[in-house]
Amino acid sequence: MNGKDTPLAPAPAAPATPAPAAPAPEPRPNPLAHLPLPFQTADYSLKGYHLDATVQPGQVVLAAQLMDREGFSLDTITGVDWLAQGQMEVVYDYFHPGRGFRAVVRARIPRENPEIPTLSQVFPGANWHERETHDFFGIRFLGHPDLSPFLLPEDADYHPLRKDFTA
Amino acid sequence: MIVNEPNPPGSAATAPNETFVLNLGPQHPATHGVLRVKMTMDGECVLRAEPVCGYIHRMQEKMGENRTYAQYLPNTSRIDYLSAMTYTHAFVGAVERAARIQVPPRAEYIRVITSELNRISSHLVWWGAFLLDLGGFTPLLYAFDDREMILDLLEGITGARLTYCYYRFGGLYNDVDETFLKGTRQFVLHMRPRLKMYRALVTDNVILRKRLIGIGPISPELCRKYGATGPVIRGSGVAYDVRKAEPYSVYPELDFDIPAFPEGDSMARYLVRMEEIAQSLRLIEQALDKLPAGPVMAEKVPRVLKLPAGDYCYAVEAARGRFMVRLVSDNKEIPYRVKLRTPCLSNLSLFEEASRGMLLADALALMGSLDLVIPDIDR
Amino acid sequence: METQPDLCQLVKDCSPIVRFGLLDDWLALARANSLWPLTFGLACCAIEMMAAGASRFDLARFGAEVFRPSPRQADVMIVAGTINKKMAGAVKTLYDQMPEPKWVIAMGNCAISGGPFVFPGQYAVVEGVDKLFPVDVFIPGCPPRPEALIDGILKLEEKLTGKRRWPRVKPE
Repeated sequence: MNGKDTPLAPAPAAPATPAPAAPAPEPRPNPLAHLPLPFQTADYSLKGYHLDATVQPGQVVLAAQLMDREGFSLDTITGVDWLAQGQMEVVYDYFHPGRGFRAVVRARIPRENPEIPTLSQVFPGANWHERETHDFFGIRFLGHPDLSPFLLPEDADYHPLRKDFTA
Repeated sequence: MIVNEPNPPGSAATAPNETFVLNLGPQHPATHGVLRVKMTMDGECVLRAEPVCGYIHRMQEKMGENRTYAQYLPNTSRIDYLSAMTYTHAFVGAVERAARIQVPPRAEYIRVITSELNRISSHLVWWGAFLLDLGGFTPLLYAFDDREMILDLLEGITGARLTYCYYRFGGLYNDVDETFLKGTRQFVLHMRPRLKMYRALVTDNVILRKRLIGIGPISPELCRKYGATGPVIRGSGVAYDVRKAEPYSVYPELDFDIPAFPEGDSMARYLVRMEEIAQSLRLIEQALDKLPAGPVMAEKVPRVLKLPAGDYCYAVEAARGRFMVRLVSDNKEIPYRVKLRTPCLSNLSLFEEASRGMLLADALALMGSLDLVIPDIDR
Repeated sequence: METQPDLCQLVKDCSPIVRFGLLDDWLALARANSLWPLTFGLACCAIEMMAAGASRFDLARFGAEVFRPSPRQADVMIVAGTINKKMAGAVKTLYDQMPEPKWVIAMGNCAISGGPFVFPGQYAVVEGVDKLFPVDVFIPGCPPRPEALIDGILKLEEKLTGKRRWPRVKPE
């Protein structure tokens, strides 16, 4: 905060960074094929994401580190309660701010003991997403600094988005 | 009492350094809703700002599992009520994508026009409220005056002022009339000189510039680590906009720029939004010129929608950033899971790290420049 | 949280203990024409409340444009938005902090009965602010138009003074 007025930023004629290439309508070749993750291309016009990988719960941190190195940003973390199969699915959505790619990483954990390592050391933004997923599903994120309720009251001990939840 | 000693015992100079916790909210004029921030302060400096959310948690995701797809449409407007059209667009788009419903071009163009009008009205509310936080009351009145013109236009076709439910699966339920088209053109002509006036009155104002330039710097790497999008990441120099990165609707056929300013401070985010209003006016004019004749509703849309099993996503550029709907379906009438990826949650999550060491007033200026709508975070 | 309606009714009948006749009428008129609302916008209805205070609808004409951030300086609490179970304690604290005489306007469907967020199995919404404390005026709508909020304030003025100062607009 100096005493002089800084000149106003000029109105932009072009974006500061090169605009991302317009994506082609047919499925693109897998740009993450060099990573040791089982990415498969998905039909973007149907699914809304380009790449999809299902990994073991112990591999999600490695996946996050690789995505971080590739320049991806964490979109969201959520859970899906598959009551009939006795499993919960943790879904990690990633997007690339430069190239506009969308990638999804999934992991399935047993419903009776839902635990999965935390991503908050790799992506600090995962902190709140994991707290919310814990609120809604009861999934414990091992190594998370503070898994207290985020959207529910501080003394909440229920997990409302589980399929067997009754108010 | 010893009066001549420079630092008598018991005076503030000899007191041990203490921090205290200041509770901001949940009822507070500057938090734009019910946000509580527990601030650990050292005098006037913020050591740690910890947002506490959940005071307006309205179970939007749980309601997605209790409502059919059509019954859920009013909920989408109430997640971020200032940018309601764009949120409905995302949900409707996800269902259309999954059910492979083709929307007629006239409906797509009208969706773009109404979404961009909604974006302008959202930015106007942000502008008025932000300047109210900084201490200026007048711009709020100007902003709401312009916004009333937009609301009149949208009320004429949708019947609602704030929480529209205009889009349907396959198009729109109501076509636009001549009043709307003429009124929108007049609004665009009215708004451009108003933007110039806002620039002269507010943006070039030395008090505003001293309050915003250099305040709250956010690096692009911080944005990427927290998933921040919208004007927050564009104010840090990264020109990421869902309308260009994952084009949807008829945005590929329209010509517009993505404003991005590299400084990363609150002034950059402010200028991004003001420039976005100008770009939205440009988009509206082009869409009005290119508006084709034809139906506004797809022909064979099933009454009772059942999406094939699987998960589907649709992302839009809402006024505050990237909004994505993730639908998980198990081939029933009601969704299995509705996940709403909202921009304000990611944008606010970097507040704790970005506000360390700032003065309290500057921290509030930073929070205002993030443009938060709290029901967007709490859903 | 349950209110005790019998006690409230009893207190209303006993208070004020001393009545001054004409002075009471003048006090009621003064209070009605200078209602100071508490800035308590919770959700979507807050935007319509702001629009009612802005230039087109102009609450200042009715004396109610001075929104006070502190409950100690306000005399009407316009509950605009959904009350959450997490927020309920804070709302009750704010109500208790307001000095007498105080009034409450429940604006919008959420404040009246929980609004569109009531469904079987709901776990987070308090179904109406009158479950926490007594409400004087209910304004339905989702969100109600600014004109509806103004009509609600005029109804509150009518409740205070017994007379309606502004002509009632008959719908055609």
